[in-house]
Amino acid sequence: MNHFDEMACLLYLEGQLDPARSRELAAHIAECAPCRDLLHALQHETILLSSALTEDNESMPARLATEHVRSLPSWVWTLAFGAFAAGAYWFWTDGIGPWFDQLSNAGFGGTDVFSMIVFTGAFWEGWSDMIDAIQIGALILVAVVAIAWIRRRLRRSVAIAVVVSALLFALALPPQAGAAEVRRGRSIQIPAGEVVHNDLVVTGPSVRIDGTVEGDVIAFTRNLTLTGHVTGDVIAFAGETVIDGTVDGNVRVFTRSVILQGTVAKNVTAFANSVDLVSKASVGGGMIVFAAEADLDGKMQRDLLGMVGRTDLEGLIGGQVWLRGGSLTVASSAEIRGPAKFEGPQQPVVEAGAKLASPIQTEVTQEIRRTRRTEARSVIRAIFGYAGALVVGILLLVIFPGFFRATLRETGSIGLPIGIGALALISGVFLLVLGILLLIVGIGAGVAGVMAYAPILYVAQVFVGTWLGNKVMGQPPAVTSAVVGRMAVGLLILRVAGLIPFLGVLVWLAVLLWGTGAVLLGFYRMSRAESAPLPA
Amino acid sequence: MDARRHPEGMSPAEQAVAQERIALAKAGNAEAWGELYRQYAPAIFRFCRRTMPTREDAEDATMDIFVKVRQKLSQYDASRPFSAWLYTVAANHCWDLLRRRKLRQDLETGEVENMPLEHPDPGQLEQLIERRTGQEMRRALDKLPARSRMALVLRYYAEMSYDDIATTLGVRRTFVGVVLLRARHQLREILEGQGGAKLAAGGAA
Repeated sequence: MNHFDEMACLLYLEGQLDPARSRELAAHIAECAPCRDLLHALQHETILLSSALTEDNESMPARLATEHVRSLPSWVWTLAFGAFAAGAYWFWTDGIGPWFDQLSNAGFGGTDVFSMIVFTGAFWEGWSDMIDAIQIGALILVAVVAIAWIRRRLRRSVAIAVVVSALLFALALPPQAGAAEVRRGRSIQIPAGEVVHNDLVVTGPSVRIDGTVEGDVIAFTRNLTLTGHVTGDVIAFAGETVIDGTVDGNVRVFTRSVILQGTVAKNVTAFANSVDLVSKASVGGGMIVFAAEADLDGKMQRDLLGMVGRTDLEGLIGGQVWLRGGSLTVASSAEIRGPAKFEGPQQPVVEAGAKLASPIQTEVTQEIRRTRRTEARSVIRAIFGYAGALVVGILLLVIFPGFFRATLRETGSIGLPIGIGALALISGVFLLVLGILLLIVGIGAGVAGVMAYAPILYVAQVFVGTWLGNKVMGQPPAVTSAVVGRMAVGLLILRVAGLIPFLGVLVWLAVLLWGTGAVLLGFYRMSRAESAPLPA
Repeated sequence: MDARRHPEGMSPAEQAVAQERIALAKAGNAEAWGELYRQYAPAIFRFCRRTMPTREDAEDATMDIFVKVRQKLSQYDASRPFSAWLYTVAANHCWDLLRRRKLRQDLETGEVENMPLEHPDPGQLEQLIERRTGQEMRRALDKLPARSRMALVLRYYAEMSYDDIATTLGVRRTFVGVVLLRARHQLREILEGQGGAKLAAGGAA
């Protein structure tokens, strides 16, 4: 008797053999043990295959949980966009609008402040020169986050297309600053007579410009001295800044002290400890001053806006004044041609002989004194802060245990989350600044971004705290109460550490970076494998 | 298990509900369509996961399949089981994708003479497959050439008929058995290779 081959056995098992041959085979196996065994083995294999293929070892990814986004009716999008537009409009009219109204009431017409900050573009132009690295890093991070986010909704190809085109758009947006001349060195000097036919970027401990720069000057330095002529703007991040020459554009300085002795054709913006506008100096536009002390003896043709601790006014102000701060003294030699407004804890001192267009409109603010009561309040606030963080942590643990564990695991690999967190925060700040600089376009997006950041920043402490608790008390058993106990201890340690003067700030900064990175990584992991088994 | 693969293979009452749902979805009822989606999407995703090389491919394929199904729903013939029709659409889509990516390296058809016709040793076969976990089997399946894997999935996961498999893979009906058997042989070879590695790994642990 001939054995049946494997093919025939398989077809028989699958019911694909014609009836005659099928009967033949059935009769054969009744007598033939090897063929019967083969049949059984094949059947066994079939069962194994079938169960291996059917086993539910991988759950559905989240983006498949509901049907395609494309199937969302268009009115939902219209509604969502409408709601967003309405929200943005409301924010503008209620939040930003009054602020600007106040400014223009105080004499800073929209064109002044606004055009100075936004439309001259000097800030942005300078930035694109200086912070390329941060910018690119931030853009890449934003792109990755965007892809991860959109991925859950759209197909990969579409998601990538959207993000890449958005990136290209973003890169195309800022006007590319022309190739600027860059100089580095211990001591940089542009001697009198030398002409730089370009924007000039200088970095070094000491910078002195006696010659002419036909373009903008962007300086990072300890000492900046400018006695020459700059046809563009001067943007300086410096320890001491002395401007003794002629600047045809704007001056924007972030510096410890700035002394203005020369001529600035346009506006001056100064963030400084002390600002000194000497009597021979002249500013063609207005000034915005954020400083501890300001001595303004020179002339400015337009408005003065400032938040200054102590202001001494001895010179001429062609426009209006809006000041907020500790004290204001108007000397007899001073002249203010527009209306003036002062907000501060005490009345301004106006010496006899000072020429004012109108009396200074004053609003006396109450000095905030630290009383025992406020101390008690701050203690209560600290306790509430601790309890709040703990409650949020417990909620997270109970409601999203998978996310909690994933994030906690990411927290454990210290370096990576800190790096990611730093990048995310830098890009966040960057986007915020960008949003403010491009005020009109960016405000909605900026606010939305901050709203998204806030909860992440808040829960950052939970994970770092729990990690710390685990370190102190050992890995918890897989019981919720044990995890909560460690979380409570860790958060308490963080809170106490945060109270240390100076160091506390650093502690919080580290916690923010670290925790934010961990949370973002946790999100990422969760979006990758919704149900990947997490080792306890 | 079968119920999960072929969700309507349930009681007649449930079947009636399912049929009505399909009819409603056909008529354009979004809610019924949503329910159909929720009912079948997990099975289709798993199908794609078994046939496509990566998880992302499987996700994309699942979405595309349901877009197609929605467009083609009017062509569905209610006398056939819905899941069978669904799997046909899914199989055609995935096979199309794989073919377009030229993953089908085993293009050769019809060399029946390649088939070992001798009687394999049933004892050895039993030994090879006994105590294999689903995980090991799946790992071995992932290493199969695209068409072999496709054939096994169509037959033992989607439980498609030989006719449908023949149409999907574009082979003669009589050749389907050969494809399946060859796939099994390839699988056994992979498992054999794995067995050695597995033993070594087990020794280390």
